[in-house]
Amino acid sequence: MTPQRPRTTTRQRVLSALAVLAVAGLTWWSAHGIGFSLGELFFNFGKMGRLLGESFPPAWNFWPRLVKPLLETLQIAVIGTFFGSVVALPLAVLAARGVSPSKPVYWLHRNAMNLLRTMPDLFWAMLFASAVGFGPFAGSLALTVFTVAVVSKLTSESIESIDMKLTEAVRASGGNWSETVYFSVLPQVWPQYVSYVLYAFELNVRASTVLGLVGAGGIGMVLNTQRTTFQYDRVTMIVLFVFVVVLAIEQLSAAARRRLV
Amino acid sequence: MGVVTRAGAPAIQFRQTEVVYPNGVRGLDGVDLDIARGDLIVIVGLSGAGKSTMLRAINGLVDITGGDVEVEGRSVRQSRGAGLRDLRASVGMIFQDYRLMRRLSVLTNVLVGRVARVPTWRQLLGLWPKEDVDLALDSLDRVGLADRAYVKAGQLSGGQQQRVGIARALTQKPSVILADEPVASLDPVTSRQVMEDLQRINQDLGITTLINLHFLDLAKEYAERIIGLRQGKLVFDGPGAGVTEREFADIYGRHVTAEDVLEAKVAL
Repeated sequence: MTPQRPRTTTRQRVLSALAVLAVAGLTWWSAHGIGFSLGELFFNFGKMGRLLGESFPPAWNFWPRLVKPLLETLQIAVIGTFFGSVVALPLAVLAARGVSPSKPVYWLHRNAMNLLRTMPDLFWAMLFASAVGFGPFAGSLALTVFTVAVVSKLTSESIESIDMKLTEAVRASGGNWSETVYFSVLPQVWPQYVSYVLYAFELNVRASTVLGLVGAGGIGMVLNTQRTTFQYDRVTMIVLFVFVVVLAIEQLSAAARRRLV
Repeated sequence: MGVVTRAGAPAIQFRQTEVVYPNGVRGLDGVDLDIARGDLIVIVGLSGAGKSTMLRAINGLVDITGGDVEVEGRSVRQSRGAGLRDLRASVGMIFQDYRLMRRLSVLTNVLVGRVARVPTWRQLLGLWPKEDVDLALDSLDRVGLADRAYVKAGQLSGGQQQRVGIARALTQKPSVILADEPVASLDPVTSRQVMEDLQRINQDLGITTLINLHFLDLAKEYAERIIGLRQGKLVFDGPGAGVTEREFADIYGRHVTAEDVLEAKVAL
């Protein structure tokens, strides 16, 4: 028996037509606004070819000068991940509905958490740079805040889905709030938490490269210098180097996370 | 023994105790009851009759909305904060689903019985005083699991996990033990072992013990006194051995069926 095909109503047809028109209009408006032109791209293809020509072959012998800046980039990521994760855990607990000790405490921390997440990491980098000057330190502070935002949000959601019945066992023994959290809430979420920390580290390695472009030190800063002095073969070398290292870290971290959960 | 109160005040007193949940459900409806020190009491009744509520009124896990419960002369309803935690520390609780932290070691689970007696900072740093660790190991020994102390709790069988639950309650050095359907998730043989553990602890240490049970034959076999609940009201109170099937039918408000006895499970 073939199922009866449901009939499309006029109302549905009108709505789909309106949706298509809306998307088309929005796209045209945006393309117009940014000067999007396939023609311009086509007629200037040669310029791109010239840039690519200058970029190849990569300046292979440049790599020894990249090791130190790249380590600095990783150090920025490690520091940001470490301090951010330490702050994120209590924040996640206080911002988890049902575990947070009271409504006002929950509300306060939930909103603080959301506020942190709305601000882009570049904003934090600039804010901290104004205090401690441009450099790796400001970069690591920016990534700390970024890590707090990512890890606390994810961990908080994990905490909200735990088995709350287990907390009753600790309360029945006379446990106070922190003892109840420590013995019945955290043991249920720690593999997820560690997994989120590793995930944040992956994001931080990439983000700290970008932060270098705006002066936070590390490999991004070297990239910026070479780009502004038109040494494109060196730029290629840097991009390849970063690509390999970031890929390796992501693979390692992903393998570790698979083993955890 | 039994109904006769021993020297001094009763261990637990229900005085017109009423528990109405926020959703309007009446868990306990004006219960008056004295429980003598050292007694082993079994509470029977259909699910929803108020058995769990009755136990949770004793350690303040539910809010008492009328009357009061007194444990060793202390009002549960008036207890708040540190006072309530101290009262809870003197009352051990055992659950149908064990409520162990599966990822933590058996020993750590049992040490949770000391949370109210050890400073929080020591617990968070894992610096348990030696006498508390010894006490926890001693409790494990009492339930025959001393050699499993460093195994993760989730690796034990159901019966072993329930005995860890008993060890956790014992480690509180409680004057009262509450067991909420402690054998409902276990097979008949393990059920009997757990009931015998509870009975032995009651007799050896003189801890007042209240057990919610589904199975009427187990209730008759182990109870010194049986309390029957129906719709939150006390409908039966008598010595364990002498209860007749007709009296059980009165408590349940229906005929006793094969579902209500453990032996029927054995036959399967």
